[in-house]
Amino acid sequence: MNLSAVDWLIMLVYFTFVLGIGFALKRYMRTSNDFFLAGRSIPAWVCGLAFISANLGAQEVIGMGASGAKYGINTSHFYWIGAVPAMVFVGIFMMPFYYGSKARSVPEYLRMRFDEKTRAVNAFSFAIMTVLSSGISMYAMALLIQTLGLFHGIIPDHYIFHVSIILSAVIVLGYIFLGGLTSAIYNEVLQFFLIVAGFAPLVWIGLKNVGGWQGIKQTLPATMTHSWRGMAHASTNTLGVEWVGLAMGLGFVLSFGYWCTDFLVVQRAMAADSEESARRVPLIAAIPKMFFPFLVILPGLIAVSITSHATPAASTVTAGPAASAPLVDQHPHGIIPQKTNPLNGQPIVDSKGEPVYNYDLAIPVMLLHFFPTGILGLGLTALLASFMSGMAGNVTAFNTVWTYDIYQAYINKRATDAHYLWMGRMATIGGILLSIAAAYAATSFNNIMDALQLVFSFVNAPLFATFLLGMFWKRTTGHGAFTGLVSGTVAALLHHGLTIPVDAMPGIHGGWIGIVHRYPSDMAQNFWTAIFAFSVNLVVTVVVSLMTRPRAESELVGLVYSLTPKPVEHHLRWYQKPSSLAWGVLGLLVVLNLVFA
Amino acid sequence: MGLDIRVPLGLIFLIVGGLMSVYGVITRHSAIYERSLGVNLNLGWGLIMLLFGVIMFVVGRRQKWQDDPVNPRPWEREGTKHH
Repeated sequence: MNLSAVDWLIMLVYFTFVLGIGFALKRYMRTSNDFFLAGRSIPAWVCGLAFISANLGAQEVIGMGASGAKYGINTSHFYWIGAVPAMVFVGIFMMPFYYGSKARSVPEYLRMRFDEKTRAVNAFSFAIMTVLSSGISMYAMALLIQTLGLFHGIIPDHYIFHVSIILSAVIVLGYIFLGGLTSAIYNEVLQFFLIVAGFAPLVWIGLKNVGGWQGIKQTLPATMTHSWRGMAHASTNTLGVEWVGLAMGLGFVLSFGYWCTDFLVVQRAMAADSEESARRVPLIAAIPKMFFPFLVILPGLIAVSITSHATPAASTVTAGPAASAPLVDQHPHGIIPQKTNPLNGQPIVDSKGEPVYNYDLAIPVMLLHFFPTGILGLGLTALLASFMSGMAGNVTAFNTVWTYDIYQAYINKRATDAHYLWMGRMATIGGILLSIAAAYAATSFNNIMDALQLVFSFVNAPLFATFLLGMFWKRTTGHGAFTGLVSGTVAALLHHGLTIPVDAMPGIHGGWIGIVHRYPSDMAQNFWTAIFAFSVNLVVTVVVSLMTRPRAESELVGLVYSLTPKPVEHHLRWYQKPSSLAWGVLGLLVVLNLVFA
Repeated sequence: MGLDIRVPLGLIFLIVGGLMSVYGVITRHSAIYERSLGVNLNLGWGLIMLLFGVIMFVVGRRQKWQDDPVNPRPWEREGTKHH
């Protein structure tokens, strides 16, 4: 890749600002509250943009572009049904308890509502998971920098990976160490605008090239350009999932489990300056979230629609006796490069001798294809910004949970606030070091990382049932919540061990106990694992709660829906009320789904 | 917090947009725009970013942050609790 001075200059400007914000905020970090909760003084729109930015990490941008290229516009289900209803729910119904209870973290809410052991399960699994995700983000970034040859000719090739890891670690460490959560939130807002500024012209020029949305529709099969076509049955859509699994698994269990309980995103809303602001945060975030498919998924579709550059080999793949092949492979591949073996540079072929395409490069390849030098620097900055936000989000969530829910809870209960502030800074360093370790672990044990992520998906899958019952059923007890949570995770593990996607070998893809059922795709298996975990948690929590003694109602005020006074709203005009915003968001969601149905 | 995010946000868009616009002016009619279908993306998009930067910067400088950055914190203030 040939970058000129202006590209480097743009990237340099960005990194100067990133660190500059940290330095500018340092003097406001006087208490642990400032550092971990941003002093609860951030306006709703800033928190809202940070709320989606924190989730818009590397896996998200690269992965969504890749899925867009592979599956088509129905990838937007991950943004529409798979995020927006949950964001509305957390804003309207759950935020009063998170914010109003004055809990400083999601695990701390669990301790207030239930007991110490439920908090411990959540705090420890969450802490390990954030460090691991941040490490994987770091690894993905270094790998991409290496693949694109960003530093090619500047530093020796075999150092590029290490330099990328160290550089990203130092920058993220720098701005969080100095400015804590505020710094992370401010940088996430910068990243949000840079991602929009970097990708919007890419989509515009890409659409111009392929003849607009109509041009894409003519080039690609109908299943790729309609988000609901063929959803009645798993074999007639590219995702390999039927609508029940999609709506229940993705739309309900997984998305509510993530957006409503994951401290990584909830922390952004907890930093808001008032309870009304906190409730508006996820709702404000939902609006740009709905339109993000056009920035991150559409480039993937454009990349596969560019026919003029398709190699003959790529276009013949679509023809022939493809009826038995999965729908995924029956479309053109445009400018998506083939996967090559890093050792000898030979293209990788699958077991049937077909070429394997590296969909992860969809967005980077688009940037290189359409952007001349100058704006290319902006596009790469946007990409790097997304990697940084993914890492920083995890690190700020980690240092808070470590300090408040592990260190203060189990190691040193009675220290001064200054000590906890210091601990937060140390935890930031620790978190970054552990992320680096995780990134290197990913280079040598790729399967172990996959397995670990899988285990964490089992821990997360049942989580929403615990919060749902905890917040809306006052009878739920601590023993019930704890038993339910553990049983839900075990259920997820068993379900995964007993089922397998078709054409997968028993092992990491499932079926390691025995095969009871085969799913049409690994996505379907994922969704149904989550549905099982959730249901088991729900049932076990209810049963155990009924058998154990509930807490006195007076202790649960502010923590449970029926015992908490409704938020006062009569001083707000109709358009200021969170519920008006929520209805607007839901209406927009329906319209978008109808347009792209 | 005492720093309004719109100030640095405006500044970064001013600088980056400015850089791109100037570069776009210097390189107009250059062969580098064959990639972008003959559109001078640096100049066009750079100017849009510049404009956005100016608006953000001006608004951010004008509207001082509502909260006092130091004390008291919102939850420390009397009478703001919900009943």
